[in-house]
Amino acid sequence: MTPALQSRADVFDIVIVGAGVMGATTALFLARGGQKVALIDRQDMFRAASGVNAGTLTLHMTRAQLIPHAIRGREMWLNSTAWLGEDVGALATPGLSMAFTEAEEELLRQRARVRQDMGAPIEVVSPQEAVRIEPGVNPTLRAAAYCALDGHIPAYRVGGAYARALRQAGVTIIENSPVETITHATGGGYDVRVSNRAQPVHGHRIVLSAGAWLEKMLGWLGYNIPIRCLINQLVVTETLPPVMGSVLSIANGLLSLKQFANGSVLIGGGWQGEGNIHQGGTRVIPENLRGNVRLAQYVVPRLDEAQVLRVWLGLESETPDAMPLIGALTPDDDAFVVGCVHSGFTSGPYMGRLLAERILGGNPDLSAFDPTRFSTPTATGPKS
Amino acid sequence: MFSPDFSPVTVIGGGIAGTTSAIALARHGFPVTLIDEQPAAGGQIFRAPSPYARKTVPPNHEFSGGDALRQKLAASPVNVRFSTRVWGLSPALTLDLIGPDGIDQLPPSTVVVANGATERFLPFQGWTTPRITGLAGASILMRDGGTLPGQTVVVAGSGPLLFSVAHQVLELGGKVAAIVDAGHRSDWLRLGAMLSLDPARLTQATSWMLRLRKAGIPIHHRAHISTAQETETGLLLTVSDMDHPERRHVYAAEATACGYGLKPTTLITRTAGVQHRHDPIGGYLEPVTDVAGRTSHPDLYVTGDAAGIRGMAVARLRGLITAHAIAQDRGGISAQTYETLTRAPLRQLRRLEAVSRRMLPLMNAGSAIPAHLQDETIVCRCERVKAVTLRSAIEAGAEDLNQLKAWTRCGMGPCQGRMCEDSARGLLTAACGNTPEEAGSFTARMPFFPLPLTAVTGTFAYSDIPLPKAAPL
Ligand SMILES: Cc1cc2nc3c(=O)[nH]c(=O)nc-3n(C[C@H](O)[C@H](O)[C@H](O)COP(=O)(O)OP(=O)(O)OC[C@H]3O[C@@H](n4cnc5c(N)ncnc54)[C@H](O)[C@@H]3O)c2cc1C
Repeated sequence: MTPALQSRADVFDIVIVGAGVMGATTALFLARGGQKVALIDRQDMFRAASGVNAGTLTLHMTRAQLIPHAIRGREMWLNSTAWLGEDVGALATPGLSMAFTEAEEELLRQRARVRQDMGAPIEVVSPQEAVRIEPGVNPTLRAAAYCALDGHIPAYRVGGAYARALRQAGVTIIENSPVETITHATGGGYDVRVSNRAQPVHGHRIVLSAGAWLEKMLGWLGYNIPIRCLINQLVVTETLPPVMGSVLSIANGLLSLKQFANGSVLIGGGWQGEGNIHQGGTRVIPENLRGNVRLAQYVVPRLDEAQVLRVWLGLESETPDAMPLIGALTPDDDAFVVGCVHSGFTSGPYMGRLLAERILGGNPDLSAFDPTRFSTPTATGPKS
Repeated sequence: MFSPDFSPVTVIGGGIAGTTSAIALARHGFPVTLIDEQPAAGGQIFRAPSPYARKTVPPNHEFSGGDALRQKLAASPVNVRFSTRVWGLSPALTLDLIGPDGIDQLPPSTVVVANGATERFLPFQGWTTPRITGLAGASILMRDGGTLPGQTVVVAGSGPLLFSVAHQVLELGGKVAAIVDAGHRSDWLRLGAMLSLDPARLTQATSWMLRLRKAGIPIHHRAHISTAQETETGLLLTVSDMDHPERRHVYAAEATACGYGLKPTTLITRTAGVQHRHDPIGGYLEPVTDVAGRTSHPDLYVTGDAAGIRGMAVARLRGLITAHAIAQDRGGISAQTYETLTRAPLRQLRRLEAVSRRMLPLMNAGSAIPAHLQDETIVCRCERVKAVTLRSAIEAGAEDLNQLKAWTRCGMGPCQGRMCEDSARGLLTAACGNTPEEAGSFTARMPFFPLPLTAVTGTFAYSDIPLPKAAPL
């Protein structure tokens, strides 16, 4: 590198595109590892999935194969002071997944078994035991899967904590700056073009962590990976007297229910809204709102006293095999991706740390997440 | 010529503007649905009075005007959906409703937003104690409910509602302890000089002022309520001069009605993604519209006070002009017919608007109050956030309202910031020097108001829940 270039403010060892939990954690650990890092987002940090998610730290819903990662991620959240510098309000609670029909009971046992095998401390308990653990649940349940390791975190609080930690670690945060293209720079590295800047931001290496927007971005590097965009619905109620203490779900994974310290109840579970990621704009599907809320009220009958305060939709991405994309995109080890992690908020801090470790020269096992498993880049990769 | 497009039009808001517009649209041949949260049309001013109010409140303009409007509506083919509220919408203008039969959705249509104005509240020490209402709320309570907010009332805030409410208190046999106005006396005199342009308002204002003067009610200009204290029988209110805070008066009253003017209701237009601007004179956010209510959204029109506060006479004219404009935009009438139909209303509109605009600074006279709020004053009553909390978040770098909201929860509660947004913005602009545009506004969220959970669920059995297929293992 020439000294002239070196002195330019917009040249970085690593440029990271997308400041959700994946990109921001990667940035944090890379900066602590001595790298000069820029973190770019099209809006303020943590406004997409990482700021609007349900904040369940769950092993019931995480894909079975990701349970070891989810356990580590959950621990990181519960000890956020140690690595993020402040307590973000994560709370450890038990988690109960319930079955109300015969078919659900079968599914419950099957899912519990697979998760046990992957190291989740889940056991199937009787209805009486479930009601003892959580007196507010509908006593007509047939069985419940109990997990000692569950919990939740108010997701909206996390962005501020990351902003402070990243600044302290010396990361250059470039917000409200949509990345429009990424091209190979003459002389190596990448030029990351941002819509509101005349000059590109140059990175010797890049990390793509743009969440639901990854498909398009991977396309710039010649990858053609179809990524499904889920439009997840969440519903929050006005504050209520305590009606539950654990995180509740049902066997098929389509409910997550918890009460925060202030008394509001959050209803989620991945019911879908409508929308178009490219044009923007989402829409609540009334039947899905009704279905999700009915399910919640069935599981905790006392929710009939609640008032629905807000409904919102957030975007989550999923690969064809529903497994993450984490690792190197090029043989030169100069472009990486991290994203499409199921229940990614739970494991996010751990996934980001793993990728940072990998970029810094370590050798964590990321083989199951290899982004080249779907396609090899076409010749129409980035050009200068 | 193109064949006209008579696809459906939905009018949100059955006040003067919306009802006038709906009737005119139906006359042009559109299938029109009129939605309002009230059980009948009329809006804030022409609201249908309760049977009790019809007996107790002396006959007035508002009753007769409202009855005439409701009769016209009943005689029109407009499809009405009363007791129904819009709680959300998509940018394509699908409307989410809640009505007597629970939740429901209307497919995209041309939408006329005529949901009127919202009162601006500014806090003071003790404002969350009971016995304190808004001016608009007090006015509705008295005119349409026939009930006084208290036997003795301090009427405070800014704008013409002050005098209207004070007059209503007297009409119902109550006592006004004082009128406390944030505006300058000279601004009122300047407005008075213009009222010859609007004879109806002139007559009304003159009769109110004579009555108030005869009753010997003290009027404080450039003053505001700085503290309210609850006593056994009511309230002790400290009134401070805005320019000389050491000059104070204390009044005892059973209740106080306090409001700082009106602002357009923008939840719907903001959610639709329509372009807005900050009107520095009104001190509020308004959708950017042309004279006919066209917005940056091709299928969304805004009419009446929702497009900027101009009052009821203008609202009727705007409603009419918007209907004609839609007829023209959809090929129902020619440009020439549009011109013929709107010539007289437009001329009248311009004359009346000149007066209405003069009212805006009077309504916005309290704009300096938030900057001087005492640290311990609660700004956001839903989440109980105090001024000091906001000030320290601003000091820590919160530069716009949404950041302030995320950091302090100010505006996150059931009212969506309706009560605190103006004071939070005032604090923010005063503390960090940002303009109101930079401070922005709270992102609109759905539902626009809390929905009873059981209204969403309806009655159901477990087997009625359309469970999606299981998540991946
Ligand atoms: C409603 C909902 C509920 C959820 N609930 C849970 C839960 O309870 N528990 C759990 O563990 N997980 C949950 N998840 C999943 C979890 O939120 C995600 O897996 C995780 O947050 C993804 O993080 P990310 O960093 O990959 O993506 P994101 O947080 O989406 O971050 C991607 C960032 O990239 C930016 N970006 C995109 N395009 C560009 C561009 N061109 N230029 C610059 N920046 C760009 C975006 O603005 C965004 O900030 C939920 C998800 C949703 C949507």
